[in-house]
Amino acid sequence: MTAREDILGRVRAALGRRSIDPSTVQNAAAALLADLPSTRPDALGGSLVEAFIARVTSPKVAATAVRIPSAAALPDAVAMYLQERGLQKTVALQPHALLRSLDWTAYEVHGSVASDEAVAVGMARWGIAETGSLVFHSGADSPVLANFLSLHHVVAVRAADIVPYLEDYAMAAAGLPMPRNVNLITGASGTTDIEGSLVLGAHGPRYMHVVVVDG
Amino acid sequence: MQTSVVSFRKRVEAALADPTLKLAIDRTTGTAERKRAVAVAAFPQFDAARERGKRIKAHVIEHLDHYLLEFERNAIASGAKVHWASTADEASRIVVDLCRQAKARRVTRVKSMLGEEIGLPHALDAAGIERFETDLAEHIVQLGGDRPSHIVWPSMHRTREQVSVMFKKAHRVPHKDETIEAMVDSARRELRDKFLSADVSISGANFLIADTGATCTVTNEGNAELTTSPPRVHIVTAGIEKLVPSLPHAFALLRLLVRSATGADITQYTTFHCGPKKPGDLDGPEEFHIVLVDNGRTKMLADTGLRDMLRCLRCGACMNHCVVFRQLGGHAYGGTYPGPMGAVLTPVIDGLEHSRELAHACTLNGKCQEVCPVDIPLPTLMRGWRDRSWREGLEPAAMRFGLGVFTFVASRPWLYRMGTAMQVRMLNLFSRDGWIRSFPGLGAWTAYRDFPAPQGRTFMARYASGEGRRK
Repeated sequence: MTAREDILGRVRAALGRRSIDPSTVQNAAAALLADLPSTRPDALGGSLVEAFIARVTSPKVAATAVRIPSAAALPDAVAMYLQERGLQKTVALQPHALLRSLDWTAYEVHGSVASDEAVAVGMARWGIAETGSLVFHSGADSPVLANFLSLHHVVAVRAADIVPYLEDYAMAAAGLPMPRNVNLITGASGTTDIEGSLVLGAHGPRYMHVVVVDG
Repeated sequence: MQTSVVSFRKRVEAALADPTLKLAIDRTTGTAERKRAVAVAAFPQFDAARERGKRIKAHVIEHLDHYLLEFERNAIASGAKVHWASTADEASRIVVDLCRQAKARRVTRVKSMLGEEIGLPHALDAAGIERFETDLAEHIVQLGGDRPSHIVWPSMHRTREQVSVMFKKAHRVPHKDETIEAMVDSARRELRDKFLSADVSISGANFLIADTGATCTVTNEGNAELTTSPPRVHIVTAGIEKLVPSLPHAFALLRLLVRSATGADITQYTTFHCGPKKPGDLDGPEEFHIVLVDNGRTKMLADTGLRDMLRCLRCGACMNHCVVFRQLGGHAYGGTYPGPMGAVLTPVIDGLEHSRELAHACTLNGKCQEVCPVDIPLPTLMRGWRDRSWREGLEPAAMRFGLGVFTFVASRPWLYRMGTAMQVRMLNLFSRDGWIRSFPGLGAWTAYRDFPAPQGRTFMARYASGEGRRK
């Protein structure tokens, strides 16, 4: 007997089970998700985009955010962020078609993120208003490390891709192929491992700036 | 991991005699308690969410065979290799063998309590594989050569002053300022190239998603993703109770887990791993292995008294709110898991004969169950271990004798009244300003705190004389 058969055998013996009808289990699992609003936090006031921005900039997430009319305004929005912080116009750009199509002529742009990269600019697939999270699906236009190596992480997200709750992301992504990594990123990296006090920039980015693109 | 051979009493004495430890515990658990209270107060739906969470976990446990098979099927379809291990040793051996097959010289690890439970750090060291812990707290634990003392804050037993000394000794470019920020920065510098140069990464899982075969990890530091993306092989070890039917079920539990653990609404990073690098991916491992570990879990499933414990999300709220844990810290418990949940789990993992004292290190004040996000009846489960220890004759002779004497006296009212009256008089002889600083036979108590002196006569005597009775 292999460990697999041993474990399954012990589970079945413990449950006193002969056979299970998968559809009964599926129905029971679905029933456990009935009336979701009763177990979720209240929605923040205002429009979805306003709620998302309020959440992202709240002390809990502690990121900065700005809203721009269209993607074409992104390079300028990034420039403003860099200027305010006295950073050079050198960015690692996620290999995303929309990002690549913009005018970055004033910048020194490179495609892959170095291990000591100062600024990375990326594009999230979705935003979640409930938690202020940005969602990335890894793939040819979205390497995982691009979101973790830099000190400043500037992320654009389209206003139309902001969903109210965590489950709404699950619905939006249902039917899409499952990527190797789904990353829900909420603010900058942090740690409370030394005496419980919060320090940002543990291993991942220390600063997060969110740019909501209306158009 | 076996509980250490030093007796529980010795470990407790050592913990209580360490003033730095008490300071360190208070700094972290105090913050955790306050932040959880704020987070729960800001989420009026918490009670309803807790009920849903409890039902989701109970449902999975009742259909564990179904979900194990569904998860395995989908994980294999995603390109993962699934391994099964009945025991801790088997699980460690599978991981070490996978590292050897990958010819790994260096592995990076993401904090995982299951990894600790199966003794993986030790197994890797014994196999001569260079191991780097990437979670900041586990990095501190590794440098200190000791064990985690909390399941969420493994290095909670260290003060910032101690961490500073360790980092200055071990890091290539250590911090100069004596601030926590500077120390975190020092670890960031030190570990960055370790992430990128490892051959194998090893992580745990907070959830296993049955309908996609994905594993979910929640972290705040970002070390998990930095650890698991560059190496050629990624190995996940997970307990078989971590299953959930689907992503929305995981989200329902995440809302409870994170608030209960740290008081945040979500961790900075919530990541789902599904299979190895896909065609076109720019990073990720070539091989993705999942090791499903039993190590006593089916034993708990078979024991209706312990089955509730399989709901545990490993948030640590029970220990943060435990009056005993907050005096002792985690090491005194001796096992992988400390606090109330550890007192229930350690006898399953290490055997009751090695850990029967843990269930006694509890005041039964019920706080742990109150704050448990899935309503595990921890006090009842600890009473169950006390009961079993008594029935199996594991309680020492002095305890059996003492309880025998008490039963004899307590079942004879005249003797009980006489005995307590005598005791009150004796205690009063030793009282100074209403407190007793030492008393024969009370040394274990008075070594650490004063004992309150009796207020006048016994309750029975006062009741009999009509005192306080309604006229």
